[in-house]
Amino acid sequence: MDIGSHVITLMAALILVVQLLMTAQRQLPTSIRLFAIQSLLLAAIAAVVAYYHNASHVYIVAGLTLAGKVFFLPWLLNRLVQRIQIHQEIEPLFNAPTSMLICGGLTLLGYVVARPFTSLERLGNNTLPVALTLLLTGFFLMINCRKALTQVLALLTVENGVMLAAVAVASYGMPLVVELGIFFDVLVAVMVLGILVYRIRETFASMDTSKLNQLKG
Amino acid sequence: MLLLTPILIVPLLAGLLCLTVRAPRVMAALGVLAFGVTLGLGLALVRQVLARGVVTEWRGFLSADALSAWMVLLISTVSLATSLYAGRYFERDVAAGAVTPGRVREFFVLTPLFGAGMFLVVLANNLGVMWAAVEGTALSSVLLVALYNRRTSLEAAWKYVILGSLGLALALMGTVFVYAAACKRNPDSLPSFNWSYMMSVAGQLDPRLLKLAFVFALIGYGTKAGLAPMHTWLPDAHSEAPSPTSAMLSGVSLKIALYALLRFHILTTACLHSDFSRGFLLGFGLFSMFLAAPFILVQKNLKRMLAYSSLEHVGLICTGFALNSPVTIFGALLHMGYHALTKPVLFFAAGNIHQTFHSLEFRVIGPGVMKVLPVTAIAMALAGLAAIGLPPFGLFLSELTILSGGLASHQTTVSALILVALLASFCGILQQLARLLLGARKTGGPASDARHPDGVPAMALLLGGLLLFSVWLPAPLLALLHQAADLIGGRS
Repeated sequence: MDIGSHVITLMAALILVVQLLMTAQRQLPTSIRLFAIQSLLLAAIAAVVAYYHNASHVYIVAGLTLAGKVFFLPWLLNRLVQRIQIHQEIEPLFNAPTSMLICGGLTLLGYVVARPFTSLERLGNNTLPVALTLLLTGFFLMINCRKALTQVLALLTVENGVMLAAVAVASYGMPLVVELGIFFDVLVAVMVLGILVYRIRETFASMDTSKLNQLKG
Repeated sequence: MLLLTPILIVPLLAGLLCLTVRAPRVMAALGVLAFGVTLGLGLALVRQVLARGVVTEWRGFLSADALSAWMVLLISTVSLATSLYAGRYFERDVAAGAVTPGRVREFFVLTPLFGAGMFLVVLANNLGVMWAAVEGTALSSVLLVALYNRRTSLEAAWKYVILGSLGLALALMGTVFVYAAACKRNPDSLPSFNWSYMMSVAGQLDPRLLKLAFVFALIGYGTKAGLAPMHTWLPDAHSEAPSPTSAMLSGVSLKIALYALLRFHILTTACLHSDFSRGFLLGFGLFSMFLAAPFILVQKNLKRMLAYSSLEHVGLICTGFALNSPVTIFGALLHMGYHALTKPVLFFAAGNIHQTFHSLEFRVIGPGVMKVLPVTAIAMALAGLAAIGLPPFGLFLSELTILSGGLASHQTTVSALILVALLASFCGILQQLARLLLGARKTGGPASDARHPDGVPAMALLLGGLLLFSVWLPAPLLALLHQAADLIGGRS
């Protein structure tokens, strides 16, 4: 039990590190790789939880995360990047040091908000604060980077945060039917977003979402 | 006899069948058929619910109470009218070269799936499945919003999907916290996540967790329901989508998100026995109403104005629930129904106008639409008068019910605020539509359209229903609404 707790705490910390690296990253392929690593850590946490609780259905969740988020979605996104061939650099709203500072603040906020609820964590500690931090920094990533594909990645990290919270506070994860529903929704969402990104790229000859600014009032 | 299963399966099958047929006419007919069947099943469901209280299937995976049955009727009616209208609408669009036949097929495949998703939201017993279904409706409607593939419609679709998904991620967080509360209650097993189970143990759940869950759900589902200030996607998506889709989004989709929020509201109130969630609903509802009015007054685009009017109505419905007297909740439920019969007519008429004038800007279309498209203009005028709440239309009745209920339960300030907001948008819509429809034509522009006008069956169906139910509410429907109101008010 104790080792399991330590392992989970360690991996939650690593997830946070990966998230911070992602906010400072401008190269899309690297960001996609970081997302895959983050999802791998999430799958590992689920597997540890499944092992220590003898909850076989959480193994399925870990397997799905591995197949979907570590292999399939990064592959899909990479293919999209190659197909639309982006060469231009889009300046993020904040430069790297400033965004690091902001994310540090958001992490602090995540810890403050999660503090009254940390007693809920059954295994490991710091998972709930990390989950909330993923949520907050995901939102920041969404605002900071105006590339359509980066926004898709931001959305996926937010979703990772929610899944981490589910593992952290609900002792055996969610019921399997719910996990399956969420999993397929995420897959379909990325496909739909991919179609839209492709069409935006064709129509605007760019992926800069700040060019989507005609509708007002 | 199975009722809930076919309600889910029929539209799903219709959508998949549309993949195999070629003729748009057949696809439209399939849509009409599917939602006609679900409407019939919905009526049968109302009878069952009145007889037995709660109808469950698949060992409680699907469950329908009075509130769900009422939503099933709304979804079926609006989707039926939309399918009736869409066939001819897209024939004209294809003829004009505005869309390709492939995109039309996309519409006829995705619309029944959108409908099936909404049915699953209201019939799912499990709160997590309900969340997944709401996300499903968002995903199936995104490509519908982007159907025309114009720059502006892509922009609208992008905002819709990004804001919608972010919102729903928060709603999922809320859902997780509710489940965490259930796990905390019995830590050694995997508790059920069914709504019926959660309600039965509501008193023993951790109130702090439920509070946190409600706030997340409010922001999340509130975004999808278009509550201000999370409404910014709403006017864009509603104005850029093809008119049949706008009718679905505005007529039912907003209310489906509100339904999901209501489930959290009921659960939170049952747990806390306090006004915690009510206060939030009240604030967001009133804010939406007040935000909508000025935007209606200065609006230059017809469908954007209609979208802001929907924002106002959703705000009013939300406020009606928040006032929390049996009368206001009943009024809010009634308002949902009347609004579902009214708003699609306005969007259908706007669709006809768009196809004739090739624009939605007031200065390009008006004045004097009455002289060019008499039937469309009359339908729009009637539905417009209904939407601003003039008698004899039902929205007058439901608004009056909410106001009188508010006054009777001594919530005078809120009732006065509602009245002010209603009056402001009343003036706005009346002035805008009068300028658009009446008056002399400018020279130039399309000549009087002598052809048989489009979309008459759909508009006649909804307006006829509106007039009929404005003067006569059948006893079973009344009983159903009272039962649903008791459920929301925590009196059952």
